Amino acid sequence: MKAFALLQSAALPPITQPAVVGVALAYFAGVAAIGAWATRKTRTARDFFVAGQRIGLFPLALAAMAATVSGFAFIGGPGLLYSVGLGAVFVVLPAAITSAMSGWVLAKRLRLLAEVRELITVPDAIGARYRSRLAQGLAAIAILVAAIGYMATNILALGLVIDAIFGIGLNRAIWLGMGITLAYSASGGILAGVYADVFQGTLMAVASTLVFLFALQAGGGGLEPISRTILAADPAFLGPWGKLSPLAALSLFFVFTVGTLGQPHVIHKFYMLRDPRRLRWYPLVMALALMLTLLLYVGVGLAVKALVVRGELAPLARPDDATPVFLLRFTPILLAALVFSGVAAAIMSTVNSFMNVGAAAITHDLPVALGRRVANELRWGRISTVLISVAAALLAQLPGTVVALLGIFGWGLFASTLVPALAIGLNWEGATREGAIASIATGLVFTLVFESLAYFGVYTFPAGVTVSGLALVLSILVFFSVSWLTRRNADAALDADVRLVMEV
Amino acid sequence: MTVRRIALGALVISSLVIAAAYASAFLPGGAPGWAPWAMVLGNAAMPVAIMLLGAARRSGGVGRLAIPFAFTFLLLAGGFGVALLLPPADPSGSTLILGLPPAAAVVFYGIGLLPLFILPLAYAWTFDEVTLSEADLQRVRAAVARGGGGEGEEVTGVGAPGTTSDATV
Repeated sequence: MKAFALLQSAALPPITQPAVVGVALAYFAGVAAIGAWATRKTRTARDFFVAGQRIGLFPLALAAMAATVSGFAFIGGPGLLYSVGLGAVFVVLPAAITSAMSGWVLAKRLRLLAEVRELITVPDAIGARYRSRLAQGLAAIAILVAAIGYMATNILALGLVIDAIFGIGLNRAIWLGMGITLAYSASGGILAGVYADVFQGTLMAVASTLVFLFALQAGGGGLEPISRTILAADPAFLGPWGKLSPLAALSLFFVFTVGTLGQPHVIHKFYMLRDPRRLRWYPLVMALALMLTLLLYVGVGLAVKALVVRGELAPLARPDDATPVFLLRFTPILLAALVFSGVAAAIMSTVNSFMNVGAAAITHDLPVALGRRVANELRWGRISTVLISVAAALLAQLPGTVVALLGIFGWGLFASTLVPALAIGLNWEGATREGAIASIATGLVFTLVFESLAYFGVYTFPAGVTVSGLALVLSILVFFSVSWLTRRNADAALDADVRLVMEV
Repeated sequence: MTVRRIALGALVISSLVIAAAYASAFLPGGAPGWAPWAMVLGNAAMPVAIMLLGAARRSGGVGRLAIPFAFTFLLLAGGFGVALLLPPADPSGSTLILGLPPAAAVVFYGIGLLPLFILPLAYAWTFDEVTLSEADLQRVRAAVARGGGGEGEEVTGVGAPGTTSDATV
């Protein structure tokens, strides 16, 4: 199975209408106001990269949710469900598990590490865990590569949405979208990002819930009539795996369950919580927010399929048209406008998080890996944010194949390089520096090489096998094997305070 | 054998099982019939093993969390297993469970919704007992105030204030 594009990569149907434009302008004004407020509050590098470690539970959960859910949940996901049936839900099924899993595995450890060390990035945690600048540097390289790739695809997706709303042409839309996100990210740092995410996450959850209700209504008055309509025409669509093979669907589940533990733009937010004991309710709030936000994914995908079967909609020219076509035909224009702003919100919140982790990799992690510290991390953090954003916007305008390839790297690269060393390593004293370095290097090289070979058709993987899944399981096995071979070094890799954090 | 060792063992075995499922897809003729079953087993065991590893204290168990963890494993293994075993969806739609054909309903509601409520509530209810009590937090903060890890050892690693260059490559 070729890795499907997780983001919008083709033009949306034009949606330029006064209500849509008005709501979008109001939304951008709201984000700008948050950015201006946060800029006044951002005075140090800790403010810029970890929000001064003073955010509450709800901002944490909503920001983590908004960073997790990109525009894919609103556009690409419903389109995927429309085309492959229920197999597409294997991307979102893990949401039932991942919030609690990250609570037990990472949230407490990372937050307590930030208590005992002055950590501001995810590679910082790897460096502290293994007392290894090389491990920290390799993790930073992986994050930087994946973040810029993800940003390029997200900025392209944002440009497509803005172009569909305002009709200003793709290139201008890319620079406008990137410029707005950059304005609040570079000035207000992650503090602006977090509170913009709260605004954006709320917008996404509300819009998704309302659209889900409209989808059930339009599909025939509930899930049962929708299912009966689809079953009569295409029973495989509602099979447990949809039109995917069981191996392919289960592979998606594996990558999107375990891989969640390696997404730096999400787990990095654990550092920011003011009171570690407030983590008690993090999984519940995060899970509920995720569930509401993902309702649109399932509802629109199923409803549009039923509407097409009943002949009330023409078969879609492209699966990604499912959401725009549904919204414009079956929901009030103000709700449609809210969702289009929600799509922009979802993408911008993800881009903002990548800007932050990417800038931190340049300003903080790579210098630390080389044994140096940047004198003014706040100023250089802002400069780095601008530089990687411009680089990503330029990449977003390259031919579509290059941009798509960059986007494919993202999730798998994060997962295969960070899950073993960070998620397992922070919970297992037997992990060694050598094991961490070997697993990060394995994930990095395997993902980059084989995703490229697969993408350009040099090598075709068998049905049901994804590079991201293979890279993840391989890096886990390398981590265990090398740690076992070098187990005599395990104690030497652990400082006393880090050991305490791992014991608590 | 401690809970952590059990979790680590389950994690290694589930990784090997998933790797075997992937590897089998490279065989001539494609993935054999056991490959999806191996993925089911791996997908059920690995998340639970990781949660177990994260929740377990160094010398203790996971207390009441054993129940939701066992339930989650059974739910994942049973749900995916049932989905593999049940016949294809009936085009007449004669049997629907909460609006979906039985196999899809098991996956969608059983795996996609049930853990969504059980695990976060289990996390919250056992938070003081298993995850982070006030005493735990004070212990960490006291160690920070002493400048070490609670056993009088010096902190020299990455991120230790002023000591980043001490880290070894």
